[in-house]
Amino acid sequence: MALSEAGRKLCAEALDALIARCDGVSAAMLAFRDGRPYVERVRTRADHGKFAAMSSSLVALGQSVLRELDAGTLDHVLVEGTDGKFVVSSIPGSGGLLIIAVLARRDARLGLVLGHAKSCALAVSSAIS
Amino acid sequence: MSASYKLLFIGEPGAGKTTCIGSLSDIAPLCTDVHCTDELAAQKESTTVALDYGELDLGDQSRLLLYGLPGQARFKFMFDVVRENLLGVIILVDAASRTALDGLGETLETYAADVRELPSVIALNKHAAPSAGLVEGCEALLRQHGLVAPIMAVDARRRADLVRMFDLLFVMIEHGSESSAQPEATTWH
Repeated sequence: MALSEAGRKLCAEALDALIARCDGVSAAMLAFRDGRPYVERVRTRADHGKFAAMSSSLVALGQSVLRELDAGTLDHVLVEGTDGKFVVSSIPGSGGLLIIAVLARRDARLGLVLGHAKSCALAVSSAIS
Repeated sequence: MSASYKLLFIGEPGAGKTTCIGSLSDIAPLCTDVHCTDELAAQKESTTVALDYGELDLGDQSRLLLYGLPGQARFKFMFDVVRENLLGVIILVDAASRTALDGLGETLETYAADVRELPSVIALNKHAAPSAGLVEGCEALLRQHGLVAPIMAVDARRRADLVRMFDLLFVMIEHGSESSAQPEATTWH
């Protein structure tokens, strides 16, 4: 799947919308499945390359765990810590090419973060298809 | 009493880490390969993005746990996931590649500080008779990064070759302090 410059702009707008609508999001990124950044909006000092690589590792591990346990296909991976929440998921309709990763502060509401991440993933899916 | 030992495989993308673990493992290996999306796609279809995992029965109620890390430096954080209680490290090199030394150089640039205190072997894969120039180049890179490791040719698809490599690694582990006192890399052909 080839990604156009216009598609990239729409993807950036989808990330902007996610950050604007969801309180507490400190970083949102679209990355390639093999761990390279595509588009990002990062308010933290996170290393973009490492952020993308860790996101792809988590998706791959999540998929492997579910496959090994006969537990179906991956919807999302959630990592929750004392100071933040991290959600990562594949972009539907991208043939597994892209993943979305969202980092939110501790006080962000998990349901909202998940919901907005999914909405953003659908917007990205439309933008690149 | 059963025991398990952890062994790590590192090396440039395409060096043969996934193949190596697949050849050795007694269980179906856990792979986290995805299709490449960058220039690497011209060389290989897929690449590891988290880790490979396999297990080898050593026959005396002990098992060797085999971990392979992605070849790209951006995944270096995975070393922290597997570093605890590592027994040794196999550093794979695609000896058939014209950029084999560049690949090894990048691997050592990324991991030398972490593997310096561990017994390690340089495994020249994909070429039955690596050139003297390649071996000398590997020795120079090892010296440059302050590492001591034997260098040997292996075929990652052949279990017998890999067992030979482990034998060598275990000799080094048994005589760890003596091998680390050697001033230069030792070449095994």
